[in-house]
Amino acid sequence: MWDVNVLEETIYIRMRNRVQAPPEEKVLLKDIAQVIARDDVLSHLQTMMIHQLTASDRNIVIIDVMKVIRLIKSQLGDMDIQTIGPAQTIIEVTIKKKGVSVPFFLLIWFLLFFGSAMAIMNFHDDVSMRSVQEKIYTIITGKKETKPLLFQIPYSIGLGMGMILFFNHVFKKRINEEPSPLEVEMFNYQMDLDNYVIIHENKESVKRISDD
Amino acid sequence: MIKIIIILFFGLASGLAVGSGFVAFLTVLGIIPRLTQLSKTMKMIQHYEWAVVLGALAGVGASLRDPILHIPSFPLILLGMTGGIFYGMLAAALTEVLNVLPILAKRIRLDGEIAILIMAIVLGKIFGSIFQWVYFVHH
Repeated sequence: MWDVNVLEETIYIRMRNRVQAPPEEKVLLKDIAQVIARDDVLSHLQTMMIHQLTASDRNIVIIDVMKVIRLIKSQLGDMDIQTIGPAQTIIEVTIKKKGVSVPFFLLIWFLLFFGSAMAIMNFHDDVSMRSVQEKIYTIITGKKETKPLLFQIPYSIGLGMGMILFFNHVFKKRINEEPSPLEVEMFNYQMDLDNYVIIHENKESVKRISDD
Repeated sequence: MIKIIIILFFGLASGLAVGSGFVAFLTVLGIIPRLTQLSKTMKMIQHYEWAVVLGALAGVGASLRDPILHIPSFPLILLGMTGGIFYGMLAAALTEVLNVLPILAKRIRLDGEIAILIMAIVLGKIFGSIFQWVYFVHH
């Protein structure tokens, strides 16, 4: 009987990784975590307010699971709380979505366009691509040709095709549904950023013990 | 006699360094895994390794000797295309290793439509390359 009772009193908490919330929002427990508990406790827990977002929070707030446990203990008394998964939630305050500014976007687009055009020309020059291509032309046909366009034009188009193939964006639906390397890279980058803010925005996770 | 052995040794050593460097470079950029992933031909990966090795050896043969095959010129289209695709993948993989695009896309809040940024680079490469071969090198 006793065992069952204890089990029933156990609250399981799993913090979510990232939550997006508008500014000035009251953050409730159900927003930042999945909770399993006895029904009457559960309804109380889910609507428990964890944090009131204010302007001073800027755009990232870290809620540590310790804070959640402390709040639950103070409101419901001693409960057995089990936490599963991440030890904190990142609340991203979504300041009103600004659209992409068109001139800025065009600037970057042409930056990338001319940048890669320059880069590929420098690369070709650097590796003596021209003489290699003329040589290939001579090997195949036996003729000297200073404009082996028959080789060079397909080469240029293939260059672009290879990049598209690698990033797999255009043919995505057709080839397969695995994430492209770039999507994986974006994900990794986001994870790195998250890890950084978890350590640096969370006052509890770094502590200096002064030695004097 | 001893001179010949030393020369042989040096040749072998430099070949070993360049060859392992070439393979290491390809491995870091992960082009072959990417191609097998796209085509679902993981089982053929050993043949792909041999294709790289044989291709490198053919390149060595073509650049150190001067063979002339005297065949029609249309295979050049195929060679140019495949060579271009390979370089394109190389360039794409290099861009990806340097982590430029995720950062850039996040900065201008364009996370969703990163394809537009990729197309800028792709078209830039094609334009730069064609411009160079048709106009630039002859002026």
